[in-house]
Amino acid sequence: MEYYGGIDAGSTYIKVAIVDSNGGIQGCKVVSTGIDCRSTAKKVFGELCDEIGLSQSNVPAVISTGYGRKLIDIANENVTEIKAHAAGSLRTAPDGKRIGTIIDIGGQDSKVIIIDKDGETRNFAMNDKCAAGTGRFLEVLSRVLEVTVNDLGALSLQAKAPCRINSLCAVFAESEVISLLARGEDRANIIAGIHRSLAKRISGMAKRAGLESDVLLTGGGALNPGLVTAFEDELMMDIYVAENPQFNGAIGAALLGRNSNGGAAG
Amino acid sequence: MDQLEKRKARFVRGLVCSAETVLAELTESPDLPEGMGYFINIMKDVFVHQDKSLISTRLQRTDNQKLIGTYCIMVPEELIYAAGAIPVRLCGGSYEASSIGDELVPRDTCPVVKASVGFTSLGLISIYQICDAVIVPTTCDAKRKMGEELSKFTEVWMLEVPHIKDSEGARRQWLEHIKALKKDLEKLTGKKIRRKALQSSIRMIAGAQYEARRLYEIRKSAATVIMGREAMLALNAYSYDTALEWTKAMAGLNDELESRRDNGRVVADSNAPRVLIAGCPPIFPNWKIPSLIEEMGAVIVADESCMGSRYLYDPAGITEKSMRNMMAGIAARYLMPCVCPSFAPNEDRLYRLLQMVDEFKISGIIYHVLKGCVIYDFELIRVEKIMKEKNIPVLRIETDYSPEDIEQLRTRIEAFVEMLGTKMKKG
Repeated sequence: MEYYGGIDAGSTYIKVAIVDSNGGIQGCKVVSTGIDCRSTAKKVFGELCDEIGLSQSNVPAVISTGYGRKLIDIANENVTEIKAHAAGSLRTAPDGKRIGTIIDIGGQDSKVIIIDKDGETRNFAMNDKCAAGTGRFLEVLSRVLEVTVNDLGALSLQAKAPCRINSLCAVFAESEVISLLARGEDRANIIAGIHRSLAKRISGMAKRAGLESDVLLTGGGALNPGLVTAFEDELMMDIYVAENPQFNGAIGAALLGRNSNGGAAG
Repeated sequence: MDQLEKRKARFVRGLVCSAETVLAELTESPDLPEGMGYFINIMKDVFVHQDKSLISTRLQRTDNQKLIGTYCIMVPEELIYAAGAIPVRLCGGSYEASSIGDELVPRDTCPVVKASVGFTSLGLISIYQICDAVIVPTTCDAKRKMGEELSKFTEVWMLEVPHIKDSEGARRQWLEHIKALKKDLEKLTGKKIRRKALQSSIRMIAGAQYEARRLYEIRKSAATVIMGREAMLALNAYSYDTALEWTKAMAGLNDELESRRDNGRVVADSNAPRVLIAGCPPIFPNWKIPSLIEEMGAVIVADESCMGSRYLYDPAGITEKSMRNMMAGIAARYLMPCVCPSFAPNEDRLYRLLQMVDEFKISGIIYHVLKGCVIYDFELIRVEKIMKEKNIPVLRIETDYSPEDIEQLRTRIEAFVEMLGTKMKKG
């Protein structure tokens, strides 16, 4: 059995994944990127190999992706996040679902990728400049609401009447949330409103890019059930959450390494 | 030194640095055709040396000869030359100038207008300073209002362009405006436009167009012998040169490129995706989109930019050499084939794009939207639709002249080029 590594050097976190030659996911690991993504990547990849009980020489190909992809010296090759996510979705989508659209909610950007049946990119869109529509948007607002990002989902599901919140700017949204709190608005309603606002912004992007069913949600944002519901309400369709959504890019990169090294496709 | 002087000095430093960076990138390439040197020097004279006498010498301007600044692509250069004056095109592409213009026009104005106002207001860059009059056609809203703002600093002549070119009334009206322009030019130069002079200036512009079209033909070939970022610069340089000198240099470049083609001296991989830049014009020194596309491994084989192929494509069709016929021919050439999105309806632009996709064997389109340019963005809806039918991917890039978004753009363009590569492999 041979093993393939994928490193997704994102803006906030570095995610690593190892797949075997059958495409099975052997393990995943995530750490904060820190200031030196090259050595962080090397370290965390070594640790993952140790955990699985592999020596790095058993891993013939390592592919990097993400913002820092070109800095990763232990990688043999690098691909863009778009390509990695598209490849990952073939493996991480629930069984029997043929994914037409991937929505990735990352730390500093969000992407919509329209793919064909082979997992190749047909079209894509990314958010412009502002943090609105990204994981950072949720982080900023959760601080104001004094909850952790992990609790946002459960809380928002208790909302009775989601608020309407500005979806264009993280800073404006923050001041809006503060004034809603000052008016005594229910926290659950505010959080649900934040999810709705994020989903609305990304859905607009998805429709423009040529949204096709089924929709797979990836990235850290997919771990938030409130956000999943918001997307379902906004797009009026079922949304599927990827297996290991945070690691979709890393898994995709590893699978691309496997495909180009003789492993069976798909 | 007072604040204004300091500011001007900073501006000049910034502009020189931006211009030199782009030019250095081009000249560092071992594949740069020798014939490009001439065009690179034009840009150096205008943006780096910024020297009045250097520019006048280049334009072969005699002591009292008038220099006319033009904007957009509807000002008939044939008339300017026939009146014994020299036209230069002033649409601005500088980030530094657009930052100055930021304070003088509304925030949502496009950077072309911001940069043009910025340049003119400072009265610094010689090419803007030495114009005796500036002609501003009434194309889009921003350009129209720009004319008013520019008139605070320089002599501005507005040229009314109809927006519906199919109507008989509009065409007649346009001819009248062109005739009025002829009179104004004669008044400025004190020289009557004679039949012979007009005939020879029509021939001269047609010569420039002939060489420009020769360059497009060379770029249609599957063998890439010149990078798009170079070819676009050579076309852009026409703005600051006389038609005659530019034509000579372009003929030389074309000869060189044809011999490269015949000798199999290619400068890019034959599998490289062939990209068409559509939408707003990249204008020197704002070369970030052309540079990024080719840095990512694609080749820009065509553009429909009004600084490039649209500007120098259609010659004036003259059947008889009477003054009347020539005036009608010139008026028609600047109105009818022009597919600037300030016209409506503008179906012709879609046909032109489809034709380019076929002729240049385009793999994908990068649709350049400069922030604030509503009309190009509007037409994207139609362009996306027809290109979807042809299975040609389109990537919309919205940006301005600031270098701040380069990293985001790089990822986007890289993913697009990667996607085109995969699509080509799959056939």
